[in-house]
Amino acid sequence: MKLSGASTLPEVAIAVGEQLARHGIRAVLTGGACVAIYTRTYTSKDADFVLQGRVTQPALDAAMKELGFERDGDRFVHPEIEFFVEFPPGPLPIGDDLSIEPGWVSLGGLSALALSPTDSCRDRLAAFYHWDDRQALRLAVEIARTQEVDVGKIREWSAGEGMTVKCEEFVAELTHGHTRRRRRRR
Amino acid sequence: MAVKAIGSPFGSETRTRVLVALRLLDSSFQRELARILGRSPSVVQKALRGLERDGLVSGRLIGRTRSYSLNPRYFGIKELEAFLSRIAQADTDLRQRTADLRRRPRRAGKPL
Repeated sequence: MKLSGASTLPEVAIAVGEQLARHGIRAVLTGGACVAIYTRTYTSKDADFVLQGRVTQPALDAAMKELGFERDGDRFVHPEIEFFVEFPPGPLPIGDDLSIEPGWVSLGGLSALALSPTDSCRDRLAAFYHWDDRQALRLAVEIARTQEVDVGKIREWSAGEGMTVKCEEFVAELTHGHTRRRRRRR
Repeated sequence: MAVKAIGSPFGSETRTRVLVALRLLDSSFQRELARILGRSPSVVQKALRGLERDGLVSGRLIGRTRSYSLNPRYFGIKELEAFLSRIAQADTDLRQRTADLRRRPRRAGKPL
């Protein structure tokens, strides 16, 4: 996939993920770019990848350069693309849960390793739980409406985080939305 | 030069004391931390940026002020908090400085 100024964030993120995998670099897409892939309505300004295993800076720079990205401080920028790429420090936990199993997401014949819809949903919920970020709650609901998520796993994790009340707010928002959608169809 | 009361397990004395101060205060901002630690705002800012990059601290804008706290989503936050509390016990100076800080509300216009 040739990246250009018209490329969307999901296209950029998946092209970068594919490129890194080709270079033997295991990197998991997290954060807002995951949400953009799963909802197709939200967009962010960057794609965050968490590196797994040992990766040297020259190897990362070389892989990114082949796609036209240059390192600028902590981020990689592309002269034609408005989105930038960052590699925040790992590991990849969501709250206290360290057993995150990423999956492959595909677009235009390319694939990238990313948080699953359930984990992307939990990732947004963590922002709602800890910072009262209502936008994060809305996005968690949107992911759960557009993708198949394991609400039981989310409930269990939320209880472990001491966030049962806020989790129920999420479930209520989700259920309310489903109810409204069913009514509209009639 | 003062003898260091505590070591620097987080890379530098300023980084360590910023973390301990945030543990004691829950949240703070660059100038308040600089005042408490007796360091220049630029030194504190550099420490905060590094800690934020490492994921230990999170900052968010409240009005025009960037407020910092320990990152509640940091891997091992509970252990980090426990360790910082332990360090705080050994840093009586920092505990005293944070204890002297007035944070309760004060009606606007009321003389100090």
